[in-house]
Amino acid sequence: MIYNFKYLAPGTRGELHAMLADRGPAAALLSGGTDLLVNIRNGVVRPECVINVKKVKGFEGITWSAEEGLIIRAGCTINDLLRDARVRADYPLLAACAHDLASYQIRNRATVVGNVANASPCSDMAAALLCLKARAVISSSRGEREVAFPAFFKGVKKTVILPDEILERIIVPASSAGAPGDYRKLKRISGHDLAIVGVALLKQDGEIRLGISSAAPTPVYVGGLKTSDPADLVVAAALEAVHPISDVRCTREYREHMIQVYVRRLLEEVQG
Amino acid sequence: MKIKLTINGAAYEKDVAENSTLLRFLREDLGLTGTKEGCGAGECGACTVILDGRTVNACMVLAAEADGATVKTIEGEARNGKLSDIQEAFDRHHAVQCGFCSSGMVLSVRELIERNPRPSVGEIKEGLEGNFCRCTGYTQIIEAVLDVTGQIDRKGEMTHA
Amino acid sequence: MLEHSDPSTLKHVGHSPERQEAQAKLTGDAVYVSDMTLPGMLYAQIKKSPHASAIIRGIDLSRAEKLPGVRAILTGADLDYRLGLYVVDKDILAKGKVRHYGEAVVAVAADTLAIARQAVELIEVDYEITPAVLNHMDAVKADAPLVHPDLGSYATIPEVFSPQGGTNIANLSKCRKGDIDKGFAEAAWIVEREYTNPSVQHVPMETHVAIVEWKTGDDITIWTSAQSPFTVRGLFCYTFKLPLTKVRVIIPHVGGGFGGKAGIHMEPLVACLSRKAGGRPVKFQATREEEFSLLPCRSALTYKIKTGVRADGRICAQKMEMYWDAGAYADYAVNVTRASGYSAAGPYEIPNAWLDAYTVYTNKPYGTAYRGFGHVEFFWGLERHMELVAQTIGMDPLEFRRLNLLRPGSLTLTGEKITEHTGNIRKCLDSVAAGIGYGELTAAELTRERQTGLKIGKGLATLHKAPAMPPFTATAVIMKMNSDGTVLVNVGLTEIGQGSTTAFAQIAAERLGFPMDKVTVTVEKDTDRDPYDWQTVASKGLMLTGNALILACEDLLRNAYEVAGQALRAQPCDLEHDGERIYIKHNHDKSVSFTQLSVGYCYPDGNAIGGPLIGVGRYVAQGLTNLDKATGQGLPALDWTYGAHGIIVEVNPASGEFHLLKICSAYDVGKAINPDMVRGQCIGGMIQGLGTALCEGYIYDQQGHLLNPSFTDNKIPTARDLPDEIECIIIETPQLDGPFGARGVGEHPMIAVAPALGNAIRNAVGAELTHMPIRAEDVWRAMGRKEPVETWITRTPTGSCRSVLL
Repeated sequence: MIYNFKYLAPGTRGELHAMLADRGPAAALLSGGTDLLVNIRNGVVRPECVINVKKVKGFEGITWSAEEGLIIRAGCTINDLLRDARVRADYPLLAACAHDLASYQIRNRATVVGNVANASPCSDMAAALLCLKARAVISSSRGEREVAFPAFFKGVKKTVILPDEILERIIVPASSAGAPGDYRKLKRISGHDLAIVGVALLKQDGEIRLGISSAAPTPVYVGGLKTSDPADLVVAAALEAVHPISDVRCTREYREHMIQVYVRRLLEEVQG
Repeated sequence: MKIKLTINGAAYEKDVAENSTLLRFLREDLGLTGTKEGCGAGECGACTVILDGRTVNACMVLAAEADGATVKTIEGEARNGKLSDIQEAFDRHHAVQCGFCSSGMVLSVRELIERNPRPSVGEIKEGLEGNFCRCTGYTQIIEAVLDVTGQIDRKGEMTHA
Repeated sequence: MLEHSDPSTLKHVGHSPERQEAQAKLTGDAVYVSDMTLPGMLYAQIKKSPHASAIIRGIDLSRAEKLPGVRAILTGADLDYRLGLYVVDKDILAKGKVRHYGEAVVAVAADTLAIARQAVELIEVDYEITPAVLNHMDAVKADAPLVHPDLGSYATIPEVFSPQGGTNIANLSKCRKGDIDKGFAEAAWIVEREYTNPSVQHVPMETHVAIVEWKTGDDITIWTSAQSPFTVRGLFCYTFKLPLTKVRVIIPHVGGGFGGKAGIHMEPLVACLSRKAGGRPVKFQATREEEFSLLPCRSALTYKIKTGVRADGRICAQKMEMYWDAGAYADYAVNVTRASGYSAAGPYEIPNAWLDAYTVYTNKPYGTAYRGFGHVEFFWGLERHMELVAQTIGMDPLEFRRLNLLRPGSLTLTGEKITEHTGNIRKCLDSVAAGIGYGELTAAELTRERQTGLKIGKGLATLHKAPAMPPFTATAVIMKMNSDGTVLVNVGLTEIGQGSTTAFAQIAAERLGFPMDKVTVTVEKDTDRDPYDWQTVASKGLMLTGNALILACEDLLRNAYEVAGQALRAQPCDLEHDGERIYIKHNHDKSVSFTQLSVGYCYPDGNAIGGPLIGVGRYVAQGLTNLDKATGQGLPALDWTYGAHGIIVEVNPASGEFHLLKICSAYDVGKAINPDMVRGQCIGGMIQGLGTALCEGYIYDQQGHLLNPSFTDNKIPTARDLPDEIECIIIETPQLDGPFGARGVGEHPMIAVAPALGNAIRNAVGAELTHMPIRAEDVWRAMGRKEPVETWITRTPTGSCRSVLL
């Protein structure tokens, strides 16, 4: 890295909150580092200090309880998520999106929380979390607040997190457990690539829920659909909700076409 | 700032710049140049090392973050001047050409077969997708992994996915 | 030369011993220039142009000069040197104007990389943007802005190249065979189409890197990750007007070259920084982003082909126009144009041919040599075209190719006669056709189609290439025996991963009759120690250096026999040897060991004869000629390596997504010196060819900014991008003048992969692709006869792709 920044590694929530309150906009939170460090290297961001959140007590790993559901903490990497037996058994959509994220080495560092807080419109994890009715738990020295996922994203790489706050954990409710779901991601190669367009589809209790990435400034949630709805209706709802652009990766036309293709494919392949 | 870590079984205590990556620290501060830089942006895997038991791109880890950690680099793969089983399999199967990706590739294979002792061809491909190779076309690398995991013999070839 | 050895008696050649330097590479012991530091070394960074075309109005160095730790700064105004392999058109640093995005404008050397980077940030360059010409088809028009207004005054090699002053044409190569008008007059059908492919980058895993130390008295040492130490030295000394003895070029291990490191690149600039910094060594390593834009790429190509076919399906005439996008500097592109020119019709018999091949300047990062030297690019068009011609006349594409293939007695485009020893293109084609079950789907394939709803298609393509090199290309080998009887071999050919080191050890061991563990071929190159080799390019190394090596072995043995004869009181014809000693044929007990002979033989009383045993072999390409400038006729080809690919592809007719089920490739290599290594080259090259076909390609915006200067958007194949099944067939029609019958195959596996895929996709779903890369979206558009996407110089918004000058 060329830019000189201060490195801080708080050990407690209190320390972390105090640092954020103190430095807020000049600080960048470091969890996996796979987005932040690339951005620093490329000169996209120049934080005065980088705060490593992985040493904070209480930020490790992933747990499950019957009341709350899945609690994914700030230190939980994508591969930690994939290794978790409960995730594999009861949250197949989460596993599907995680599985397609970047490469194995990246997944050993990148965190679910970090991926979501980065808020790229291409986020693979966001697509799943939208369908699973997940909630973001944001904390600061002023306390904690919860934000449901659709409301979490505000724009390209913009979320509701304020400069003195941290996305501390993500709750995937117990009520979403057992819901079948899958993710289809258009890539330029079979190897690791960001989503040119991505569709997550979940079926639960007669409902269909969609999460679509790389088709709008933020990942998009499409609700209000039923498993009894004809495929054309589901497709129309999906296309209605997105406004993909043409860029050097793909044209708008093909993105729209592949959203259709993926929605139809998933409708057939996801049980329920 | 000072960091303490274990690399290839040896203890180190060193002063590092706060903005130094683990990759730069290994190569420039410690002279362990076996780990290579291919892109500096976490895409190519040439800088793969094993950090606390998991493969990572060292260019995407700050040296500071490795304080208290256990690191394995390619220099720790051979023991007492003898190639490891993976290195020997690579050698047998001509899985090395220019060699620049080899350090990262060998460590990715090491971690892969430790967590999955009998990976299928598909699992090998997925496990290695984060390690670019421009020379070999990957096939002989995959064959080396199949060999070292007892799935093909010394001169075996992979013909089907 | 061919050793008439019965293959069953060969002990080393034809076997697959492990690579000599694999252990060093596998353990991290192998040192690459990127790993090197020297005492007192400074780090260089470069300020690059953000514009495709601009006048440099001013450069403000004041803030950078004041930064502690900055030891040297250079701008174009400081350096009055011009470089160019064939057309001398490039300044070391932009002088007065910039001609492409990413061009080097100011260079800094400082105590640390961080300081050098900071210094670069503190430098301000004032540009006046001028109109740029980006598309090479626009650049050939009369009203196009001139990239090199002074082209007419540039030095060149007029016997070979024809730059057209006052235009953007750096070279025009022609080929005229027979009578083109008469040929077309005979045609029952005339088929015409245009094919295009974008620039791509070599993507060596180790980016370009050089360390140069310019000491007092002009004693210069260059450590560089490069393919051709003697070319670096030669061009360097030519540029700086120094005797060759002043410059030493050292090349340790190289992390991939693929042609991108074939010439001279950063070395002169780095050298000038060292000189300015009082002789301290200076190191420059390109970032991956710089590798994509500061360093050169592969030229884009527009290829127009018009073919006349007789009623019986024989090609009677072919008119070819190639427009090569050289980018801002001619570098190797003019030679790519020339070399492709004489090969452009492929391995087919064309009695009447007309070719015009243009090298065109544009304001973009420039093209250099790339594996295949133009052939990957033009075979895309050629083999897609052969398919189109066959379709048009209603003939099966395989039959059409078979009918028109070169055969013994045929004449090439340059008038060279093909013999049965040239190679067996027919066998290559037939082998791959059989390998994919061409022409029909098996029961299993039909069932698969029914079950999946996907369409399976099969396609073929042929390939050929001869080394693109001067007719006087030469090489030499020096072989030294150590006092323990082991042998050390010095060659100028560079190990860039292709395995030359091991192949040469095998050839030497075979010809010497020694075990392999007694033969070492040095990996590190040093122009002070190694004998001359022209360049490590063109797939000529195995042949030329292999031959020189055999001659060196024979020279060493001759010297040894001479001394042994004296010691044993026998004539050389009475002697034989094994790995340890020379003995009298009819009296094996009378012998003298190589160890005893190695540095001079000593009699029991102390008298000594002989001396250090050294073998020298030199080989120059035999019988080649220049090409006539007007007609392109001549004998340029050292050898021809033929090959073919067959691909089975599965396509989704609803989405354009596709997947390669199988690729079967065949190459006539003459003799596989090390079959496992040949397989590695073949698969590696094929995958690199697949990258060109599937996902690689530079994308610029309308202002000439490169939008994909990193792996985020400039993809290469990963382990998951392999076809399900890969078959590699080696055919051995001996090359009569090749070592043990071998000819080269380093470049060939990359060639024609793309058109084989394009042909297979057409067979599956009828999609006609004429542009690369072939992405799912391109297939979808072609299936629906939609407008193709302009992907090279795009009008579409950039979205999250950023142009980043790192």
